[in-house]
Amino acid sequence: MTDCGCDKAKAELEEFLHNELDAKDAADVAEHMANCEDCSHEHLVGLTLTEKVRQACQEQAPSELRDRVLNALS
Amino acid sequence: MTIVLEAPAQRSELSFIAMSNDDAATPDKPVDVRALFEEQALQYMDQLYAAAMRMTRNPADAADLVQETYVKAYQAFGQFQQGTNLKAWLYRIQTNTFINNYRKNQRNPYQGTIDDLEDWQLGGAESMTQSTSTRSAEAEAIDHLPDSAVKDALQAVPEDFRMAVYFADVEGFSYQEIADIMKTPVGTVMSRLHRGRRMLRDLLADYARDRGIAVPVPTTGGKK
Repeated sequence: MTDCGCDKAKAELEEFLHNELDAKDAADVAEHMANCEDCSHEHLVGLTLTEKVRQACQEQAPSELRDRVLNALS
Repeated sequence: MTIVLEAPAQRSELSFIAMSNDDAATPDKPVDVRALFEEQALQYMDQLYAAAMRMTRNPADAADLVQETYVKAYQAFGQFQQGTNLKAWLYRIQTNTFINNYRKNQRNPYQGTIDDLEDWQLGGAESMTQSTSTRSAEAEAIDHLPDSAVKDALQAVPEDFRMAVYFADVEGFSYQEIADIMKTPVGTVMSRLHRGRRMLRDLLADYARDRGIAVPVPTTGGKK
């Protein structure tokens, strides 16, 4: 396998992060990142962003909402 | 497996009785639609509420939106195909309800054309030429930001971009599922995601910088 290069890796990093690449493309990007600090750091920023957004968006519905919904269904 | 459900909207009990009188040889117990709906759908309330908070930006409207979503989902539950993704189905109803009932009340001059705007019109800038050391600094700075900063930044991102990011990064939906929920082509989902994440990243870097956390300014493209 030859290194796919930064251009392809950077273009596909977001799809890689979201698990949208097929196995071959994902392997190419992973292989490139193993040897490229620049792209692996870019990926780290992406991962961090995803994780922060995920954490920040956790919410618990107000406890009375369940009763409101159950009443509204009948 | 497909369970055919009676439409629960009206008189479901009557139709069940009619069914069993119709043919004494039906051994199947009628499906209790209400119980099935409660068992399957109510578990997603926290998630629907979290998404509703990102859509409406306030707890009262978010609660109303979730309630309305459940009412509509219950009425349409007969059309839900058992075995397919119920959470995605609920999100589709909620997104639709939001667009029809709430979005028109919110002022947004770009609504409907946001996908066509150029990045410079949105104030974003690609900054791919940062050096490696600035990227690790950026990851670290983002990692240390409080949740409130992330939420504020999300609220500043245009709604369609924000929700694409939400569906992908919080809910982990596939691009195809997001396309179905937002009723838009997969290519548009990818563009919304990319631009939404880019804006978020820039906003968070600004936030960190404002608080004296060193995040070097990208070397290309002026912001704003």
